[in-house]
Amino acid sequence: MTPASAPLPLPGPLRQAARWLAQALTDWRASEGERWIFVFKTLVAAFCALWLAYRLGLDSPSTAMTTTIILALPSSGMVLEKSLYRVGGTLLGCLAALALIGLFPQQPVLLYAGLALWVGLCTSGATLYRNAQSYVYVLSGYTACIIALPAIDQPTQVFALAVTRAAEVGLGIICSAAVSSVLLPRHQGTQVMRTVDARYGKFLAFCQDVLQQKLTPAQVEVTHLQFAADVAALEHGRSAALFELSEAVSHARGQNRKLHAFNASFMTALTTFYTFHRLYERMRREGESPVMQACAPLYAIVAEALQATPSQDSLDTMQLHLQAALAEARQQIKAANVQHAQRIDFDTACELLERFARDMSRFHAVYFSLRHGTPLAITAPQAYAPKTPPALVIASGVRAALNVGLLALGAYFLAWPQAGVAMLMAIVFCALSASSPRPIAMVRGVLIGFVLGFPLSFICLYFLLVHADGFPMLMLSFAPFLAVGLYLLTNPAKAGIGLGLAIFITQVAPTNVLHIDGAGFLNTSIALIAGLILALVVSAVVLPEHTMGNKDHVGRALWRETLRACTASLRQLRLFGQHRFDNRMRDLLSQLNAAAGPAPGEETRAVVRQALTLLEIGHSVLELRDLIATSSAGATDEAVLALQRCVDSITGWLRTRSETDRQTALAAILHAGGAVRAAQAKCAPERAVRLQTALADLHSIYTSLLDNMAQDAGDPHAA
Amino acid sequence: MPREFAFFGILIPTLLPLFFLSIALQAVLDAILGWLGFYRMVWHPSLVRLCIFVAIFGALTLSIYK
Repeated sequence: MTPASAPLPLPGPLRQAARWLAQALTDWRASEGERWIFVFKTLVAAFCALWLAYRLGLDSPSTAMTTTIILALPSSGMVLEKSLYRVGGTLLGCLAALALIGLFPQQPVLLYAGLALWVGLCTSGATLYRNAQSYVYVLSGYTACIIALPAIDQPTQVFALAVTRAAEVGLGIICSAAVSSVLLPRHQGTQVMRTVDARYGKFLAFCQDVLQQKLTPAQVEVTHLQFAADVAALEHGRSAALFELSEAVSHARGQNRKLHAFNASFMTALTTFYTFHRLYERMRREGESPVMQACAPLYAIVAEALQATPSQDSLDTMQLHLQAALAEARQQIKAANVQHAQRIDFDTACELLERFARDMSRFHAVYFSLRHGTPLAITAPQAYAPKTPPALVIASGVRAALNVGLLALGAYFLAWPQAGVAMLMAIVFCALSASSPRPIAMVRGVLIGFVLGFPLSFICLYFLLVHADGFPMLMLSFAPFLAVGLYLLTNPAKAGIGLGLAIFITQVAPTNVLHIDGAGFLNTSIALIAGLILALVVSAVVLPEHTMGNKDHVGRALWRETLRACTASLRQLRLFGQHRFDNRMRDLLSQLNAAAGPAPGEETRAVVRQALTLLEIGHSVLELRDLIATSSAGATDEAVLALQRCVDSITGWLRTRSETDRQTALAAILHAGGAVRAAQAKCAPERAVRLQTALADLHSIYTSLLDNMAQDAGDPHAA
Repeated sequence: MPREFAFFGILIPTLLPLFFLSIALQAVLDAILGWLGFYRMVWHPSLVRLCIFVAIFGALTLSIYK
């Protein structure tokens, strides 16, 4: 209870002051308080781990402390998730190191080759998956180096080294996990629900803004890019939330399935809305027409339904209203005697509006069920499938392997006593940055943190710790410096610096038997910083363009993915179909977004435009293929054959992207349009509805081929 | 119970298998309590979980000192 809400017998000004204070405290708790609680929790975890490591007599207590810094994440679900993967990665790395040392004892060159291969494979794996599991790969790569490299000259020690490493990492993990979920926990589940709410609101606002023409094309593209990033972010948050134990496991599983459905229905609605928006923009550009007039009330109905917080009822009413208005508008258009081309525009607009209303209704149903825990019928829960362009996967593996090989040989023949430390640092940070969209920026941040950490830890060790007596005093002398690093860690823009600072300070934590060695400290510090500089040089020099989310690679991958939608076998289509296609395209976009940073440039937006068009083409082709597959059992009627030819020619165009193939595809679409319309006139009503969908798809492919893929003008209405 | 035992020639502290055993026991108990809806009645479920775990682990380790 805040003091202001209690009926205190206070005079006016005092009460006002109390109210002001309560207000300020609430504000602080919501903003800065959140960050200081994080700092406090991480400090508790770090010192718990350090104390236990001293108590259990482990060889290098600083590893346990560093682990707690690495696991310092905002919510307990994320900590538990990363903990699990860190245990797995460490154990796997230990096993790999034991195997390698066993295979090549006292054979440095062969051992380096083996390590380079192992690290290369692991880094490729990390780049391929890019979700939380990828941490297992990164870690098992560099843990093998951490254990194997110091053991080259004394192979008998390798087992002890592996056990120590595993024990210390395990200790740090247990401390972090316990502290993060017991001490003032911040639940990932709540965060996920907040994200879901925010996304729902944002999408409704976006639809309204677009219908009211408030946004410029650039803004629309950037919003689509952000939505793609949101989809990926929700996916990561969802997997972390699974690690938090709620009251019942079945509840968590149900929630998880609904989140999958939420993402899937969101992507479907977004694609439909984009297709509709493009048609709408084109009709608007062509000026006032009977079609525009007939459609205006329809838009109004949709915009109005999205205005206030919609309920299932209001969406159902919207669908009913829309259907009534559609019937009326159809009558009007029939009477108005418009051109053939405009009639096609009108039909497509109606079809898309109906489809959008259905998609929205589904999206809302999923949202409602998530929010209020009501049951929801979900057919097959389909997982979000991340997709990394293969060139990037191979490049990151090659870069990591080259890095390990070169550095290891250099360090071995350089006869610099601290070369091992420098090299390990370089390997660790190269591996960690491999799955980051901007590796150079990340390594630079950590480097700055290390450079700042050097003088700070010098002060900490030689001005404070030398006077300290006992563990509480050690805590007091370390805490302020560590807190600075952790506080920076809470600021996303400075997270790299904070991480570097905190890791550097934990690295100099004294061993069990304290010995003050100034020269040793200086040597190690210089080696740590040199290692980071090496990592920076390597990531800037070796294949610098092959980073995650590079727009050229993403652009090429988008084309490949669309081509796959056209060529995948029917069985695959039935298994994954649209969902996987949607997923992968959006995943590529989210990589693009991560690499583009806060302000995407014109080139990035061009890739987004291309991606949206390809997404639309791919969707339509998938629907056409579905229609062809379901009707091929019947007969070889003209329309189906024409549609098949049309899909084939689009495939040909996607493969070559040449002007002639584009013309062939356009001609095939025109032909198919005529054939479908002829077939529609003389078939059963339920089949006519499907053919109507096919017509809308053909129309949208045709206009995308004309609009965005070439600059030359053409008659967009003929299909 | 011995404080350490040899596992294929490696000395392992008995605490380690006991730790894993208590994780397993805790998982079983946790599933039962979750099914009964016990965690809905407590203020801080994760703290309760941790305490139950500490109690199990403590009870098992006492057997070493017997």
